[in-house]
Amino acid sequence: MQKLLVIAAVLATCLVHADEGQGPAWLLASKQLHNQFVVEDKELIVEYSIYNVGESVAVNILLDDQTFPSQDFDVVRGLLKAKWDRIAPGTNVSHTVILRPKIFGFFNMTSAFVTYYPTEDASEPVFAYTSAPGEGGIMKYREYDRKFSPHLLDWGAFGMMTVPSLCIPFMLWYRSKSKYEAIMRQGKKSN
Amino acid sequence: MNNKLLLIFLLVLPAVLIVITDGGGRSSFVAHADDAVEDEVEGEDDVTIDDEGPGAGTLETDAVVADSEEEEEEEEEKALQASPDAQTKIVFSKPDNYMEMPAGAIVKFLVGFINNGEKDFIVDSIDAAFRYPQDYSFYIQNFTAAYYGRLVESKKQATFDYSFMPSENFNARPFGLTINLNYRDVEGSLYQDALFNETISIIEVDEGLDGETFFLYVFLAAVAVLLLVAGQQFLASFTKKRGQRTKAPVEMGTSNHNDVDYDWIPKQTLDDMKKSPRRTPRQSPRQRRTKGSSED
Repeated sequence: MQKLLVIAAVLATCLVHADEGQGPAWLLASKQLHNQFVVEDKELIVEYSIYNVGESVAVNILLDDQTFPSQDFDVVRGLLKAKWDRIAPGTNVSHTVILRPKIFGFFNMTSAFVTYYPTEDASEPVFAYTSAPGEGGIMKYREYDRKFSPHLLDWGAFGMMTVPSLCIPFMLWYRSKSKYEAIMRQGKKSN
Repeated sequence: MNNKLLLIFLLVLPAVLIVITDGGGRSSFVAHADDAVEDEVEGEDDVTIDDEGPGAGTLETDAVVADSEEEEEEEEEKALQASPDAQTKIVFSKPDNYMEMPAGAIVKFLVGFINNGEKDFIVDSIDAAFRYPQDYSFYIQNFTAAYYGRLVESKKQATFDYSFMPSENFNARPFGLTINLNYRDVEGSLYQDALFNETISIIEVDEGLDGETFFLYVFLAAVAVLLLVAGQQFLASFTKKRGQRTKAPVEMGTSNHNDVDYDWIPKQTLDDMKKSPRRTPRQSPRQRRTKGSSED
């Protein structure tokens, strides 16, 4: 009898859940930087991932990022506005933009926003903030270069500086060698 | 004299400096600051010990005090409830199965927040901690709270991301993971939502070849090669000695010309030697000398 009750209860909850299956869509949107260092004049990869954790399809999804002002950032690839028609429940989409910062110093990367209709027949769109990477420093290009470039010029200069200490002993040796060989040759000729 | 004085001065000055800075003096400012902090901490300790009073087993009272404090903390935490107007959801984006978290690998999750009420909410922070699964008041690893300070207006939604890394040293066993979301409304009342409060298991990832084992193998190979070389050297020297011992050294003088290497002598000199009629190379040096002396 108890078993039957339990089964009935489980079935009932299942049914309830099935009813809830028609709940609205719920989009979680994250905004992430893929760079370890954000550097002036270097590509900055920003990825937006949108997860639908709700129970129905999200419709007319519009992602808009207004946190990269055009006087401070160039868009190299991609768009700061993206649009999807539908995102099914339990799925996710991602969108990537490649930017190039024109400035250096501290910059607060705040949230973009997403608007969507949580059900097929919703009249009002839902407004959602994405997550924010937060405030971070944009490195000066010269500073970055000093730390991570191959330093060809520096190595070249180093090479030039090592030349005298290598060449002078070689010259001395070579001179004595050639002198000796000349003596040898003379001796042979005299023979 | 002056030189000696200078030498003594140079020897004594560093010693004096060391004594002054290291010993009683403590001349640097940093050391002073540290001292102050230590003193404060010590002072606090003293005060607590005094409060406990003498006589009673200090260890036990300590434990009691700690327990009561923790209980108070828990009560405070319990006092904070989630707001009925806020709806939250947590989604782990990494790893795929959040019930098994690899030790030493990054774990990421997203938190969805919906403001269904009329008041605005300000989402302050998310904190996460690994706790002992049998006793949730025992923290094993506490993660830094991430501060967001995001204003979520009425009927709006927001997403927050947080990532942490379980310590590499964790064994593969169950851990209690708690994740809390702290937020407040514009009127200033605080809320806390326990987003996640479950026992998860940490798994140890067995990477095929990590740097440590790779270099271990390289080192072992190097040792093997070194042993081979050493062995070869040893054997070679051993056999050489044996061979030399068997061959009885016989003084041949300069009579045997076949094993004399003339390469190092310049050709010119050799020719001169051949030409010189004075003495034949057959003569032993002693004979030659006697001959020379007799000539003299």
